[in-house]
Amino acid sequence: MLRPLPAIHFFAIAALVSLLAGCATPPPASDPEALAEYRATNDPAEPFNRAMFDVHQAIDSAILRPINIAYRWLPSPVRNSVSSVLSNIRTPVVLLNDMLQGEPVRAGDTLGRFFINTTLGLGGFFDVAETHFGVPVHYEDFGQTLATFGVGEGPFLFVPILGPINLRDLAGQGVDTAAQPLTWFGQGLTVNILSGVRAGAVVLDNRDYYFDVIDDMNRTSLDPYAALRNARRQARAAAIANRDAVGHQPPSR
Amino acid sequence: MLLLIRRDFAVLGLALLCTQPSHAQVDTARAAQFIQSAGDELVAAINNPGLNAAARQERVASILRRSVDVETVGRFVLGRFWRVATPAEQQDYLRLFEASLIRNLAGRFGEYQGVRFSLGRSQSRTEDDALVSTIVTRPGSNPFNLDWRVTESSGQPKIVDLIAEGTSLRLTQRSEYASVIQRGGGQVAALLSAMRAQSAR
Repeated sequence: MLRPLPAIHFFAIAALVSLLAGCATPPPASDPEALAEYRATNDPAEPFNRAMFDVHQAIDSAILRPINIAYRWLPSPVRNSVSSVLSNIRTPVVLLNDMLQGEPVRAGDTLGRFFINTTLGLGGFFDVAETHFGVPVHYEDFGQTLATFGVGEGPFLFVPILGPINLRDLAGQGVDTAAQPLTWFGQGLTVNILSGVRAGAVVLDNRDYYFDVIDDMNRTSLDPYAALRNARRQARAAAIANRDAVGHQPPSR
Repeated sequence: MLLLIRRDFAVLGLALLCTQPSHAQVDTARAAQFIQSAGDELVAAINNPGLNAAARQERVASILRRSVDVETVGRFVLGRFWRVATPAEQQDYLRLFEASLIRNLAGRFGEYQGVRFSLGRSQSRTEDDALVSTIVTRPGSNPFNLDWRVTESSGQPKIVDLIAEGTSLRLTQRSEYASVIQRGGGQVAALLSAMRAQSAR
């Protein structure tokens, strides 16, 4: 039986279905530089994506940002604990992708961190693996695994709440969700509530991690959509090449 | 077999010859030293308890004006549109670009109270610049990687890019400006008026 889809996936599917709605016109072949740029940007659904970005910005300023500001009343050790718990819950997914990518050392780090943080870290609330054993967290997801297999990124998409993402990574998120421990417990009200709480907490944890960056971008960027699209692509390239992050960085959205 | 190995050595030798930098070589140690001292100055200004917010930003801005190769960055960011722009537009652009770059960076750094930084392990070099990696920490936030791209094209080490956790600022900005121009009908003037509107805010 199909499990009810979380809101995020509903948005994702709605975005895919509506992709046909608006397509950008490629520049003429007489302007090779513009054409090269158009290909590199890889955003054939730009008009639609920009509309979705506007929807996201409206949701963000009306709901997400105010919630985030309230969340920031909590002292940072508490918020760090939320991040640690979420990252501990994510261990099986990261471990699976470490192994699929043929990274035994990183897989060992992931597994070791899980045992240390679940026991000494009191169920993941404290990241003792990093603070006492010097093994920092890292993230992998199935989108990155697909990239290491040589799968191209596919067209760029902007999905409200989920944010900037490409088709490959969106598909990867579907696989990661299926591989997630909460999915194994089958269904039922409790599992659905837990999944919902976790999904909400992930959105909030990510929003909080980028709080200053988002404010800064909205204040200074002449075209926040284009800036975000490019920054996201660079950040993903760094994550795929494992050049990302000392210490904490939240999982890809 | 031996022949094969010999050939490999020959190829290796040739590769080494080819990678010898021919011009404007940047010494990584010098670049790292430069970032260490510019960073120390910035941190001292940001954390100076005797300064109010405006004075702090002004001090940070003056350090940046000295340490950043604004013209090189500006040309890079305008990219292919630099050639399309008229000389007057180029002048206008560089003036607006300097103001916005310094204002944005000073505004961002100015808020980083309690910030500290340390040089990272890896220092690398490309054909004409060096990449100096640092780790930036501030209270209540997680540490992050900040790499500084340094050139010596003007004879002195200068910053030409900041790369935060793998994301280059100048690449992001180039893409942003290209989008503004493209949406403005391919006119550099569209970018200039957007920049002017922002500096008036």
